[in-house]
Amino acid sequence: MSKEKKELYLGYATDKAVTPFFQRFLEALEQEKLMMSRCPKCGAEYLPPRQHCQKDLEECELVEFPEREAKLYSYVIVDFAPESLASRAPYVVAIGEFPSGKRLTAHITNLMSMPEIGMTLKLAFDRIDDKKITYKWLV
Amino acid sequence: MTRRVAVVAGGHSKFGKRYDATVRELCAEAFKPILDEGITQDMIDASVLSYAASQFTGQGAGSALIADYLGLHEKPHLRVESACTTGTASLRAAWGMVASGLYDVMLVLGVEQMNRVTSAQATELMARAGDMRWEYPYGISFPAFYALMASRYMHEYNLPHEVLSMIAVKSHHYGAQNPKAHLPREVTLEEANNAVPIARPLNLYDCSLITDGAAAVVIAAENRVKEFTDEPVWIKGIGAGASEMMIQDRPSLTSIPGAKRAAKAAYKMAGIEPKDIDMAEVHDCFTIAELIAYEDLGFAEPGKGREIVENKENYHDGRIPVNVDGGLKSKGHPLGATGISMTYEILMQMRGQVQKPSRQIDDVHYGLAHNVGQSGQFVNVIIFERGW
Ligand SMILES: CC(C)(COP(=O)(O)OP(=O)(O)OC[C@H]1O[C@@H](n2cnc3c(N)ncnc32)[C@H](O)[C@@H]1OP(=O)(O)O)[C@@H](O)C(=O)NCCC(=O)NCCS
Ligand SMILES: [Zn+2]
Repeated sequence: MSKEKKELYLGYATDKAVTPFFQRFLEALEQEKLMMSRCPKCGAEYLPPRQHCQKDLEECELVEFPEREAKLYSYVIVDFAPESLASRAPYVVAIGEFPSGKRLTAHITNLMSMPEIGMTLKLAFDRIDDKKITYKWLV
Repeated sequence: MTRRVAVVAGGHSKFGKRYDATVRELCAEAFKPILDEGITQDMIDASVLSYAASQFTGQGAGSALIADYLGLHEKPHLRVESACTTGTASLRAAWGMVASGLYDVMLVLGVEQMNRVTSAQATELMARAGDMRWEYPYGISFPAFYALMASRYMHEYNLPHEVLSMIAVKSHHYGAQNPKAHLPREVTLEEANNAVPIARPLNLYDCSLITDGAAAVVIAAENRVKEFTDEPVWIKGIGAGASEMMIQDRPSLTSIPGAKRAAKAAYKMAGIEPKDIDMAEVHDCFTIAELIAYEDLGFAEPGKGREIVENKENYHDGRIPVNVDGGLKSKGHPLGATGISMTYEILMQMRGQVQKPSRQIDDVHYGLAHNVGQSGQFVNVIIFERGW
């Protein structure tokens, strides 16, 4: 491929192993689209996406995930962080559950009081710096 | 046909911040008591090294180094890695080799040295046991994985944090009586409940320790047991189970599915039920994990684990004594050594050799070790039976 790959990473502490499939996920995320994956053979859907279907290992395709609101399923406020995230602590990690039952794990970035299980979370997007992007929750 | 296999001897190093030793000296400290019982290297056919995370020390090929240091360099050896359940995974692997007839006598040695790096670095290294693509970027530390379970458990069952602190009080009460423990001191309920937050709702006294240490056991096939001891402890049931990799993918966070599967398999193989267990060593990497273990192991109904805590049924003279050696909380949690340390404690309790009567359990016939890897991705439950 002649086109040079744009350097993009997910989240705050980054694993730099970006495959072509994951790169497509990241490029869509940059356009504020959250992608899930779907198996062309059995129809299974995955959020976050898997390149290979867990059931039959077929190559999945990336399709846009349409839901925007979730309920807080569980949370943690990380006070003592891994070294790579020490400067961000404390931060809130939340598992949100969408009406379809699919879940996503991300930070809630605008909480003013203690999180409450069941509260509504809105999916949002963020550019952390010129190479790092993420999805996140807002309350 | 498999052969019966027994634990015939054990050794245990002092747990703690062991700046005076590296993995080789820690292993020597755990192996020496075994030699002191008159067992020699020639009596051991092969060894398994339970060493979870060479990232902490940088030492690769651990089993080669350790076998050589202990004078076992001419005997086959291998290393097992299964995160925090490495100890009992190693015992399971060794059991298979002995039960099948491949070897008669094996050494299973667990070790970890976690304090060569800072706590923030250790937290970083352990966070890498989460999914590197989807979880690690969000800074989900090990305590954070369990805090996600704790938040959900506290919500579903309306559990006050104080109940978790009561577990810490018990662990430290017994750790204070265990000379091998990392933090052998008592803590009051008030101190434990008001400690600094680490991963809310979990605080410092909900967390296990970052520990250096080693523990070792020798196992033997039934036809060889008599050469070693009149007090063998039979490996009666071995269950292993697994769960989803990502914590968000678990249908429920109030129990660990892999632990329930492991327990079921272990009880079935042993032919006994939860009520038959006289003592348990459970994986209390966090207080919430101990509470969930009561339920996953069938000592309490779902959501009712707190009754065991509130009624002090988990004390040495209670209905189901749990972690009366201090547990991972106060004795410490050197990852690879933990499952072997649990096995060692059961051996000592059955033999009546824990030294302090104030933590000696009366008449242990069946003991159970519950050892969880990561946040439940892999779990081993082993049931032991007193053989005399
Ligand atoms: C909670 C944690 C971060 C605290 O580490 P830390 O802040 O670096 O603590 P330090 O080693 O600097 O010790 C500070 C003090 O707290 C005490 N302390 C440390 N960890 C403790 C714990 N878990 N419980 C109670 N006291 C603890 C120390 O003894 C020391 O006391 P002192 O000042 O009276 O001597 C660390 O214990 C931890 O990460 N535990 C979890 C380990 C883990 O995740 N293991 C894998 C699980 S499967
Ligand atoms: Zn499929």
